[in-house]
Amino acid sequence: MNIAADMDMAAINAASEQDVLLKIEYAFPILRQKVLSECSDEQFTDILKQINDLKLLGRIEEIVIQSIEYYIRQHVAPDFWSNFSSTTNEQHGFECFKNAVDGLYSSLIEFLPMLKRLEQLVQSKESDGSFYGENNILGQFKLIVKATLLSQLALNHEIIIEHFYRIAFNVFCNTDTSPQDDSIGSHSLCKGCNREIDDCQCQAIVYIFHETNRKLIELELLERLVGNVLTSLINIRIESHVNKACESSFDVSQLTFLENWLETVVMSWLTRIYSGGSSKSPSLSSKTRETINKFKYKLSHFLYETYTRTRIDQLFNIIIEYPESQPAIEDLRVGLERTDLRKTLVESLQDALKTRLLHPGVNTPDILTAYIAAIKALRQLDPTGVLLETVTQPVKQYLRSREDTVRCVVSGLLDDSPSDLADELVKGESLQLEESSVDEEDEDWEKWMPDPVDADPSKSSQRRVSDIISMLVNVYGSQDLFVNEYRTLLADRLLSQLNYHTEREIRHLELLKRRFGENQLHYCEVMLKDVYDSKRIDGNIQSDSSYCVEAHLFPTSALILSAQFWPPFKEEWKLELPKAVQDQLAKYMKAFEALKGNRTLCWKPHLGNVNLEIELKDRKLNMNVTPIHATIIIHFQNKNEWTIDELSEAMHVPATVLRRKITFWVSQGVLKEISSDKFLLQEESATKNRSTAEIVEEEEVESAMASASDQREEELQVFWSYIVGMLTNLDSMPLERIHQMLKMFASQGPGAVECGLPELRHFLDKKVREHQLLFSGGLYKLPKS
Amino acid sequence: MAQNINPFYSSQSTPNKAKEEKQNVPKDNHAVSKRLQKELLVLMTSTEKSVSAFPDGENLFKWIGTITGPRDTVYVGLTYKLTLEFPHSYPYSAPVVRFATPCFHPNVDSAGNICLDILKDKWSALYDVRTILLSIQSLLGEPNNESPLNPQAAELWPNQTEYKKHLHEEYRKAPSHANQDS
Repeated sequence: MNIAADMDMAAINAASEQDVLLKIEYAFPILRQKVLSECSDEQFTDILKQINDLKLLGRIEEIVIQSIEYYIRQHVAPDFWSNFSSTTNEQHGFECFKNAVDGLYSSLIEFLPMLKRLEQLVQSKESDGSFYGENNILGQFKLIVKATLLSQLALNHEIIIEHFYRIAFNVFCNTDTSPQDDSIGSHSLCKGCNREIDDCQCQAIVYIFHETNRKLIELELLERLVGNVLTSLINIRIESHVNKACESSFDVSQLTFLENWLETVVMSWLTRIYSGGSSKSPSLSSKTRETINKFKYKLSHFLYETYTRTRIDQLFNIIIEYPESQPAIEDLRVGLERTDLRKTLVESLQDALKTRLLHPGVNTPDILTAYIAAIKALRQLDPTGVLLETVTQPVKQYLRSREDTVRCVVSGLLDDSPSDLADELVKGESLQLEESSVDEEDEDWEKWMPDPVDADPSKSSQRRVSDIISMLVNVYGSQDLFVNEYRTLLADRLLSQLNYHTEREIRHLELLKRRFGENQLHYCEVMLKDVYDSKRIDGNIQSDSSYCVEAHLFPTSALILSAQFWPPFKEEWKLELPKAVQDQLAKYMKAFEALKGNRTLCWKPHLGNVNLEIELKDRKLNMNVTPIHATIIIHFQNKNEWTIDELSEAMHVPATVLRRKITFWVSQGVLKEISSDKFLLQEESATKNRSTAEIVEEEEVESAMASASDQREEELQVFWSYIVGMLTNLDSMPLERIHQMLKMFASQGPGAVECGLPELRHFLDKKVREHQLLFSGGLYKLPKS
Repeated sequence: MAQNINPFYSSQSTPNKAKEEKQNVPKDNHAVSKRLQKELLVLMTSTEKSVSAFPDGENLFKWIGTITGPRDTVYVGLTYKLTLEFPHSYPYSAPVVRFATPCFHPNVDSAGNICLDILKDKWSALYDVRTILLSIQSLLGEPNNESPLNPQAAELWPNQTEYKKHLHEEYRKAPSHANQDS
């Protein structure tokens, strides 16, 4: 009996165990992979009690959680991701995401009652074991959901999410920023949702959007699932917005607008996403506020970086438009401070300069204008001048290789029409005053600022004091070149005027003297004095009785130049003037000799100006021409017909030059080429109605001076023989020593040439390339012959 | 030598005047520099490539000269460096000229001193660096064996093949050249 009873007990036990298991399954249908439970609360309490009696609480909890995990892995997550089918249709993507989130949310909601029971189960359990580090069952559940979902990430989930948020953002931007625009374009599509206005879905979209966000927030999935997409989406928006802002001109500062836009549009949208609908931040928990703040830092940095990059890309244009583009430069300055883009700026600007400015298709004056604008703009951008120094290095190098740079700078300086350089020259004095005050400031240690990190430490002192003109002058490293070029230019101007008016030139000279110093411009001063003296001497000669007594064919005046001080004249051939003119000049010379004692005149017959009156059968011409033109036509006075060869012999002028010059008279209708190289005087005008106003201009105004580069070449040739001499005898020498030696031995005496160190290096390097020199270990030497 | 009969020469030959000039040194210094400067210019612009000279460092009064051995002599292909030191009374007294590269020659001693009449009693103010160097260059091929400073060379001179062999040996031994060739 006992045994039977025992058996029975065992059977009952077994039965009750079976029963309990069934009951547990009944309470937690998840064990059979079902979510909804039919178990009522009373039943559940009962079952819970039984479980507790059997001390199975911990075990059951484990099993249930595992089952939940399994269920989610098997059903919920695949269901969720199955919505993420790849699509290119935004609208479809929007729907997909919405459905996915909805589905996920509703299926997870179903778990709630069960979770509540599980909670009860855990509470009745004494021990406080934790699962995945989460004590709270709901927390555990969310963790499981997140982990499972993310472990099955669909390939194209970002695309779908992006579709969703893009549409939402479009709607948002539209409703928020421009309600007026809607009324204007009311007949067409709604800008927000791209549908007919009547059929506008904006409201619905906004609603769905907020709903979806709210669900995601509740599931704690928002940040992880959407964060990346959101960031990239916003970045794209920022980029396009910045680009749109930068499209317009450079004369408005954009930074405040952009910051404003970021604050009002982007941030309020973000706030709405994170708050699930409301746009007011106070209602947010501190955690979400922190997230949003982090987002804001990120985005504002991105905004600055994008803006700065865009401006850097446009920097060349900004520089070209400089004084007008000041606000853009100011923006860029602020942007540079907040980003790390100095290097990019230097590289990109140098690139732009190289491709757009420094090629043979650009005129030197244009390069100079751009260079000046760059100097001004970069000064504003970086007052220390470091950027300027690094960026304009290639420009300087290129300008050095252009032959007409000096000429352009000098003529720019002397330009009568307002130009940057002329203005710069005029304000020269005040500028020097500023420099001295800068020096004082330098001594004030309290205001001392270190150079930026990318500064070249060897050049810190000269950076501050350089103004635009000295920067241009420094392109060559020596002032002499500029002074020489000015001398040539001045000579040209004085000789082309051939009158005694020098007020303007004196003014220029005074301005230049202030900058370059008296010594440098001594020659020019003598030149101007020559002109002034000529006027006086000429007056004296004209009133000289012995000169006046003799009969004159024509009045003569002379400009008397001191040969030592004027730049060399270009004179390949000596023009033979007509006899009458020579006699006249000889008389003038005699008068001069009488006046000036032991001095004489040496005529430059190719320079000058002749006022001619030509009397032909049917007309009279009165014109100012050059001596060579006059000489040609005077020869036709005695003989109607000349060939080029005959003229060439009579005038000592090469035939090629003559041929060019004689075209002037042909174009005037005075001469006619009857056969090749044979010219006949036209006593009667062929076309009678030719107006004198129709006079063809002289083909080009040639400089009477040897060109500066030709002169320089010759001068350097002298240096070269010295260099060969010293290297023959002293073997090998470094650049500095060669320079020093040249200075000591080759540049002495009046009219000596200076050769700056950079120019010398340039010259020597050229010789090395031509294999006339060897360079190794910092020493130059001659190659073994 | 026609230029020997010239006012400078005669004035220089009288010891009193020479002394006077020496006293005048500071005053004349500038003129001497000018003269040397001018000689340098002439030398640098001349087309003569076989002789050359240049001031050694900052001192205009000390030059280094270079001559190459004249053609059709045993010295052909060899290059010699010389030092020229100009007195402040230059050009009224001769510069001191020495071989810097050891030179095996009947009229040159082991210290590089040269026995050449125009550098001693036959000096004239009309000579200049260029003519001095040219004279020394021609001396290489036409030694004066009557009064040798280097008896060995004078003895060897008649046998040109043997002389050339010895000369080249000596030349190669010269320390300054060993440096230059390396």
